[in-house]
Amino acid sequence: MKTVVCIKQVPSTTDAKIDPETKRIIREGTKAVMNPFDLYAVEEALRIRERLGGEAIAVSMGPESAKNSLIEALSMGADRAVLLCGRQFAGSDTWATSYALSKAIEKIGDVDLVICGKQAVDGDTAQVGPGIAAKLGMMQAANVSSVDEINDGEMTVKRMNETGFDVLKLKLPALITVIKDINEPRIPTLKNARKARSAAISVWSPDDIGADPDKIGLNASPTRVVKTEPPASRNAATLKIEGEPSDAAKKLVYELTARKLI
Amino acid sequence: MVKNDCRPDYHIEIIPPKQDSQKLEEDLSLFASKFERVMKSGFIASITDNAMGLLAFQGHECIEELGLHARPDQVLIHLNTFHTKQALHEILDSCERLGIRSILAISGDGSPRLPKLRPKDVEAENTASVTSVELTQYILKHYPSFTVGVAFNPYEPEEHEFEKLERKLDAGASFVITQPITGKNGAVDRLLSRYPCLPVVVEAWMSKKLYLLSDVVGYPIPEDAVFDPIETLRNLRALYPDCGQYLSLLGFKTQYETIESMARGDIL
Repeated sequence: MKTVVCIKQVPSTTDAKIDPETKRIIREGTKAVMNPFDLYAVEEALRIRERLGGEAIAVSMGPESAKNSLIEALSMGADRAVLLCGRQFAGSDTWATSYALSKAIEKIGDVDLVICGKQAVDGDTAQVGPGIAAKLGMMQAANVSSVDEINDGEMTVKRMNETGFDVLKLKLPALITVIKDINEPRIPTLKNARKARSAAISVWSPDDIGADPDKIGLNASPTRVVKTEPPASRNAATLKIEGEPSDAAKKLVYELTARKLI
Repeated sequence: MVKNDCRPDYHIEIIPPKQDSQKLEEDLSLFASKFERVMKSGFIASITDNAMGLLAFQGHECIEELGLHARPDQVLIHLNTFHTKQALHEILDSCERLGIRSILAISGDGSPRLPKLRPKDVEAENTASVTSVELTQYILKHYPSFTVGVAFNPYEPEEHEFEKLERKLDAGASFVITQPITGKNGAVDRLLSRYPCLPVVVEAWMSKKLYLLSDVVGYPIPEDAVFDPIETLRNLRALYPDCGQYLSLLGFKTQYETIESMARGDIL
């Protein structure tokens, strides 16, 4: 079973800032992390490999610094990693990104399954996964909450919907996007983390994946970001009180008293 | 571990490298040098577990991976409730292999990235969530050779905190480490008089940035508050001569030699 996981490096949500001129997220100087939903995608790929054998390959597109997210995927246990990197990719919207990633997946070859997080927390479009599937002509299921069975060239998954979930059968190769209910991402061990930091990450240019230059980058992107604004800040704070109900109640009274709320 | 009938120990807090470290090998080598220095001094290396919910490597894996020698009775591993059952056992099994027998069981600071032990993971019934009480009970049931300590927070409502401590002790905890105190503390005094045979370690704040303790003590401490950690430690040693001292955020370059001299009795 050869599984590709598409991951994206995004600004840490606590650090995200928007350039008032360009309306784009300022990525320089802000802490970058792996898109949180992609952690679940990586974990699912690893679980499938552990169950059925094969390979789990992490792929990302972005600047050199995006290697950090690939290192995280390798630390978790991915077998290898590929970074699509080059000036020509810069400014790609979801359409151009889907195209580039689909070309990389074609180059990897013989891929049975592609897994993406349900969406990236910076753009929040949830379009890239389905876009890749469309470009590769794969069956797809978005918002998958469990992978129940994979055999005889088919997989059965549960897809979350507004009222519950659908059970779907997909013919492989297929693409799924996953939600947080699907698993609990593992924490990398030190041994794996050290190995990952010295692992070679393949860096592919548009030429390496045979990408049509007219289909990647800003000029090939039909989407224009007209306006982006940070949400209004909230002054509320959440305090989670855990423990036995009687303890929690006492602590709640203490906290409210300390804040002169009662 | 600290005993009331012997020389009180210094617990030196060591924070393992962060998971997202950009200079992991450098951080590991710093961890190793701190650990070895503490072993050589005869102090206790007290290794944190994802402190403040920030993802870090585990103390036991750093010791194992770096081939460090954990001297018996000189390593205390902090263990919180933010683990999977499998990870919990991996940590405890590894501690056993390394000869580490002291665990500080704490509820801990979670983060969205960290899993949380479920009551069924630690065979706890009639409880909604796992706290240090259930964790202590579980560790001692499955690893009876371990010594488990727990935390005591003198800034919590006193009746509530003593009631909680009672449950921790009933679960088998055999020593206590307090939250940082900077002088004579009424709750700690009552702790010592209520449990005269219980080994107690008081936490001494070794950073000059006293305001970082604001959240712990529950009131704002001004950023410009003047604070002398060494003087405070000296004072705590005099006030609580039978207690061990847990030194948090100790400056290895700037303060460690002084601590060694104090321990040797070269200086007061």
